[in-house]
Amino acid sequence: MSSDHIQPRRKRSRDWTPALLLSPAFLVLIFVVLVPLLFSLYTSFTNYRLIRPETLYDWIGIRNYQRIFSDKHFWSAFGRTIVFLTIALNLEFILGLGIALLINRITWGQRTLRTIMMFPMMFSPILVGYQFKFIFNDNIGILNNALQDLGLSDGAIAWLVDKPLGMFTIIFAEVWMSTSVFAILLLAGLFAMPRDPLEAAKVDGCNPWQVFRHITLPFLMPFAFIAMTIRSLDVARAYDIVDVMTGGGPAGRTELLWTMIARVGYDNSRMGQANAMAYVSIMLSIAFTYYFFTKLIAARKYMGGAE
Amino acid sequence: MAMITKKKIGTVATWIMTFLLMIVICLPGLWVVLTGFRPNREILAKPAIWIPENLSLDNFAKIFGFGAEQIAIPVPAYFTNSLVIALTSTFIALLIGMSGGYAFARYRFKHKNGYFLGLMLSRTVPGIALSLPIFMVWSKLGLIDTKLGMIIIYVALNIPFTIWLIDGFFRQIPKEMSEAAQVDGCTRWQAFWQIEFPLAKSGVASAGIFAFLTSWNEYALASQLTRSTDSKTLPVGLMDFTAQFTIDWAGMSAMAVIIIVPALILTFLVQKHLIAGLTFGGVKG
Amino acid sequence: MKFTTMKALTTGVALSLLATGGAVAQDYGSFEGYTLRVKLIGGAQYEPLYAEIARWEEMTGATVDVLSRKNHFELDREIKQDIAAGTLNWCVGSNHTSFAPQYGSIYIDLNGVIAEDVLAGFQTLALENSTVAGRLVQLPRHSDISNLFYQKSLYEDQDNMDAFEAEYGYALTPPETWDQFRDQAMFFANAPTFYGTQYVGKDEAITGRFYELLVANGGALFDEDWNPTFNSEAGVQSVQWFKDLYDANAVPAGVLNYLWDDTGLGFASGTVALNLDWAGWASFFNDPENSQVAGNIGLVRAPTGSAGLRSGWSGSHTFSITSTCDNVDAAASFVSFLTSHENQMVEARKGLLPTRGSVWDAVIAEFEAEGNEFMVEVFETYALSMAEDAFTPPLIPEWIEVSNEIWPRLQGAILGEMTIQEALDEAADATRIIMEDAGYN
Repeated sequence: MSSDHIQPRRKRSRDWTPALLLSPAFLVLIFVVLVPLLFSLYTSFTNYRLIRPETLYDWIGIRNYQRIFSDKHFWSAFGRTIVFLTIALNLEFILGLGIALLINRITWGQRTLRTIMMFPMMFSPILVGYQFKFIFNDNIGILNNALQDLGLSDGAIAWLVDKPLGMFTIIFAEVWMSTSVFAILLLAGLFAMPRDPLEAAKVDGCNPWQVFRHITLPFLMPFAFIAMTIRSLDVARAYDIVDVMTGGGPAGRTELLWTMIARVGYDNSRMGQANAMAYVSIMLSIAFTYYFFTKLIAARKYMGGAE
Repeated sequence: MAMITKKKIGTVATWIMTFLLMIVICLPGLWVVLTGFRPNREILAKPAIWIPENLSLDNFAKIFGFGAEQIAIPVPAYFTNSLVIALTSTFIALLIGMSGGYAFARYRFKHKNGYFLGLMLSRTVPGIALSLPIFMVWSKLGLIDTKLGMIIIYVALNIPFTIWLIDGFFRQIPKEMSEAAQVDGCTRWQAFWQIEFPLAKSGVASAGIFAFLTSWNEYALASQLTRSTDSKTLPVGLMDFTAQFTIDWAGMSAMAVIIIVPALILTFLVQKHLIAGLTFGGVKG
Repeated sequence: MKFTTMKALTTGVALSLLATGGAVAQDYGSFEGYTLRVKLIGGAQYEPLYAEIARWEEMTGATVDVLSRKNHFELDREIKQDIAAGTLNWCVGSNHTSFAPQYGSIYIDLNGVIAEDVLAGFQTLALENSTVAGRLVQLPRHSDISNLFYQKSLYEDQDNMDAFEAEYGYALTPPETWDQFRDQAMFFANAPTFYGTQYVGKDEAITGRFYELLVANGGALFDEDWNPTFNSEAGVQSVQWFKDLYDANAVPAGVLNYLWDDTGLGFASGTVALNLDWAGWASFFNDPENSQVAGNIGLVRAPTGSAGLRSGWSGSHTFSITSTCDNVDAAASFVSFLTSHENQMVEARKGLLPTRGSVWDAVIAEFEAEGNEFMVEVFETYALSMAEDAFTPPLIPEWIEVSNEIWPRLQGAILGEMTIQEALDEAADATRIIMEDAGYN
C-alpha cells in the first residue's frame, strides 16, 4: 500500500492521533494488569503472608525465588505444565484441522453445523471441570458405567487417579473445551483460500493429498499460528478445570503451576512465594506466545501480507 | 443422471457423517444438559440408567424456588448480573478495540510491533496471579462486589484479541476508499463511520462474540471479586450447588443449561458474520 | 409444648411469637434500624438454620445483610482477602475450629461478650475446642465427628459369618478395632461392583483421617516443642492401613480423589459395606427416596487403634464476631440466637450434632416419641463419641499449611510412589520448615 501522500503535512509535526486512539486501551490495561502486576512483583520479594498484613513490608530479597528454584516439586509442576501445554495445543490443532476440513465440504446446513461445532465454547471452564469430574468418576461416572455395561472393562478404571490417565483426563477436558477455537479459525482460513491454485493443481494432476500438503496447509498455517497465539494467551483458564477435576493430585500427578500457585498463595497464605511462582508462569506464557507470534509474522510475510 | 444421484448421495452421506461426528464431540456436554432434566436418584444410580425414565423440569423449578425444598438460589439475579456485565464489557471492549485497531491499521508510528506485542502479552497473566492485587486495588476504590468492577476487568481481558481482529479487518479495507471520501469533504470521523465501519462490521461482530463468551464464562476472577447477588455471575453461582459435604449434580446441570442456552442462541445469530469476520481479520493485513 | 425459662418476655414482638407457638428463651434486645452485615457458610445442610434469621430480625428490629454465602474453602479465601485488604467491614462470620487459629486477632474474645449463663448451656469440650490462645474466638454451632455406618444385612448373613470366621479366625461382628475394620472391608470387597469401605483421599480430609488413626495408634503429630513426630512407627502403621485397603481393591480405585460428597453418595448407592462418616448423612442414608441402604443400616462407634484409643477427629462449625464490628451487642445477640436451644434443635433434627447438652436430650426424646429408632441410635452413639473420644487437630495457625504438606505425601505412599517411611520423613521435614518459619522452635 503506497498511499501515504495525502498526509504530508501531518508527517512533519508529530501526529498524536494514534496515541490518542490507543490511549483508552493502554489506560485500561495499565490499570487492570500492569499496576497489579507491579504490586505482585514487589510482594514476590517479601515474606508476605495473607493473614498478617504487616508482613507486606518484610523485604527478603530473592529468597522466595531461591526457595522455589530449589524445590523439586516446583520444577516437576513446571515441566508438567509445559507437557500439558504442548500436548493440548498440538492436539487441538490437529483435531480442529480435521473438523474444519470436514465442515468446509458441506454446503447445506453449515450454519447449524458450525453452531454445533462451537457448542463446547459455551461451557464455562468451571463447568467443564465438573462435567468431566463426573464423567470420569471411577464408581458412578458414566464412562466407567458405559465400559462395564458394554463389557469392555471388568474393573473400575481410576481415570482421575492413575498415573498416565490423570494427565490424560485433564488434557482431554482442555482439548474438548478449546478445539472449537482452532476449528473455527481454521475454517475461516479455508474460506479465505483462493480457488485458482487449487484448480491449477488439480489440472496438473496432483492427488488430493499433494494439494493438501503443498497448497492448503501452507495457506492455513498463519491461521493455525493465530489460534495457537490466542490459545497460549489464555491457557491459564485450564486452572479452573484442573482445580475442580483433580486439584493437582493425587500425589502431585496432575499438579500444574497454576494449582500450585493457588494453594501456596491462598490456602497456605504465602502470597509472596506464590507471586514468585506466578512470575515464572507468566514468563512461560510469554515464551509460548512470543514463539507463536514470531511464527505468525513469518507466515504472514511468506503470504505477502503487508508489513 | 446416475452420476448426479451418486454425487448427491455422497454429499448427503458426508453431511450425515459430519453431523454424527459433531454430536459425538458434543456428547459430554449433551449429557450435562440431559442431566439437568433428571432427578439425582436416577443420575447417581448404579447400575446406570441409560434411558431416562423421569424427565422433568423439577430441577429448574427447584432452583427458581418453586419446589418443595427451599434451595432458593437467586438465579434471576445472577442471570441479570451476567448479562449486564457481559454485554456492557463487550460493548466497551469493542469501542476501545475499534479505536485501537484503527490506530494500528491506519497509522505508522515508532515501535508499532512492540506496542502490539505488549498488548497481546498483557493477556498472558494468569487470573489466579492477578486476583489478589486487583482485589486490593479494587477494595480501595470500592469496586469489590460491583458490576462496574467486573466490567472494567473484562474490558481489559478482551481488549487484546479485539484489537487484533479489528486491526486485521481495517487493513483489509483499502485506504483509498476513506481517502476519497475525505477528498469529497468528509471529515476523517465521518469517513470512518460511513465507509470503513460498515465494511468492518463482521469483524466487529466476530470480535464481539469472542469477547462475550469470555466474559459470560469467566470464573477465576469473578469468584474472587464478586460476593453477593449485587454482582455474582452465573458461573460463580454454580458453586452454590457445592458444599463441604455434598454436590447437587442435578441442580448444577440445570443451572448449566441456563448458562449455555443464551450463549448458544447468540452464537447462532452471529454465525454468518463470525466466519467472514475471522476470515479477513487477523491474518491477511 | 413446654416452655423453658421465659425471662424478660415483655416485648410485643415476643408476645406475638408466643401466640404462634415459638418458644422464646431469651431476650435478644432491640436494634431497631440497624443492619448487621454477615458472611455465612452456604450449602444444603446449613440453609435450614438461615430460614430462622427472619425471626431474629422480627424480634430485634434489625436487618441482616448476608454479604456472602459460600462453601467453606471459598469463604476462607474471601476472609483472607479481607484481612489483606483491610476490608473487614462486617460483623459476623461463619468459622470452623480447624480454620479459626489462622485468622489471628480479627475475631474478638467472646468471654464477657456473650453472657455467662448463655455460655453455660454449651458443652465444655465444645467451648474448649473453640478457644485459641485463651480466647473464645467462636461460638460453636454444631460439631462433627465420625462413626462407623455399616450394612446390617451383611452381618446377619450366615454364609458371610461362616466364611469370615474360617478365613480370619474370629466371629463376624461390626469392627471394634481398626485392624478388624481392615479385615472386614477386605472380606466384603468385590470390585468393581462392591467395596469394603472408602475413605476421603485428599486435602485436609485425609490428613484428618490419618491424624485420628495416628492418635488411636499411640502416635502424635508433634512433640511438646512442636517438632513433627508423625514419621514414627505409629505413623507408618497408620498409613499402612490406607495402603493395604487400596492395594487390595477394597476401596474404589478413585478414592484418592474423593471428598465427603463421594463417600456419602457411595454408601447411599449400596455399593459399600462400611462407611466411617459424620452424622449429617444419617437421615439421608435412611431415606428410601435417596438411598439404597435405607432400613439396613447399623452404626457403631469409631474403632480403636493399637494403643487402645478410639479415633475421634472432631471439629465444630462456629460463628465469630469481628474486632471491627460496629455493634458488638447486636452481633452477640445474633450469634446467641443462631446457637440457641431452639435453633440447634432445627439443625439436630437433620442429623447435625448440637453443642448444647440440653439439645442432645431433647432431640433424642423427640425421635423416641416419633418412634424413629434409627435416629435415636445415631444420636446416642454420637453423644458417646462426642463425650469420650473427641479431639481436634492442633489449634495453630499453621495447621492447614502443615496439612498441605502431609496429604500429597500420604497419597504418594498409598500409590506406592515412595515408601511410607520416606513419605512421612519428607512430610516431617517440610513441616519442620513451616514451624521454624513460624518461630516455634
